[in-house]
Amino acid sequence: MSQSPIAAQPSQSQPSQAKDPFSPNVEDLYLESYAFTTAAAIVGSVDRKVFVLLRDGRNLFGILRTFDQFANLVLQDVVERIYLNDEENSPTKFGETYRGVFMVRGENVVMLGELDIDKEDDHLENLKQISFEEAEKELKIVHEKTIKEEGIKGKKLLSKGLINDFVKSDLY
Amino acid sequence: MLPLYLLTSAKSKEILIELKNGESLNGELVNCDSWMNLTLKNVIQTSPNGEEFVKIPEIYIRGNHIKYLRLPEEVMDYAKEQNMINMEQRNRNQKRRGGNDQRNYNNNNNYSGRQGGSGRERGGNGGHYRNDQNRNGGGNRRYNNNNNNN
Repeated sequence: MSQSPIAAQPSQSQPSQAKDPFSPNVEDLYLESYAFTTAAAIVGSVDRKVFVLLRDGRNLFGILRTFDQFANLVLQDVVERIYLNDEENSPTKFGETYRGVFMVRGENVVMLGELDIDKEDDHLENLKQISFEEAEKELKIVHEKTIKEEGIKGKKLLSKGLINDFVKSDLY
Repeated sequence: MLPLYLLTSAKSKEILIELKNGESLNGELVNCDSWMNLTLKNVIQTSPNGEEFVKIPEIYIRGNHIKYLRLPEEVMDYAKEQNMINMEQRNRNQKRRGGNDQRNYNNNNNYSGRQGGSGRERGGNGGHYRNDQNRNGGGNRRYNNNNNNN
């Protein structure tokens, strides 16, 4: 990131209206306190293209517009992409669909990261694009397989006195 | 502007809610609160496997059940207008009160300057960059609403 949001900057004594010819006396929101410091790290990504991984395994790609201390996110121009892997777990196919404006509740976010828009589509060149509906179907099969495997794993571990922590809705 | 303000400005618009269990609800937003609890009307509920549909005239959703919401595109523009109107009103009020609490924002580095720490009581605000200001700074790809970078 080009600037650190944590560094304290003394407020400068520029009158907010004077210099900016484009601003109709409107002020930016700003971060008054860094009390919620983990979510505050998101501020550097605002108005940039980001990818978000949700707990149900969805990959969203869009422009981050706003967020709050819970990491509730508002994304614009969102594209949802599903990646499908082959047996060695390297991606071979993908399907995507345009979604529009998304507001994601913070607790459902696993991680998010800024994208370099020059390089963001490079990895797609080696992958085959299929229709989103097909990708959805295949993904559903993959998910069902995972849930089954985790169930078996859970039983085996339980028989040894260990607990397998697996929630069906967390498929990331 | 915070995400929940955006939600409030989406009142009486059609929205789609997906719940944590995968159900989706399509309907008109009647009301919302700070916990993201919602009331919707004229709702169509779809089961997680996408096969069953139920029509519900009015429904209340508890906020913690929500995974995400999809809003219509116009809501972004509408919300921005609202935000600007509010800001201007706030500015005018501040001036009337004697303008000593002018907050100064440093926009040179694409990053707003920080006010000395009286803001601890306030629930923090999400950083938000206004879209219609021109930004400098090599390599920063800021998405302004005026320039559509695809």
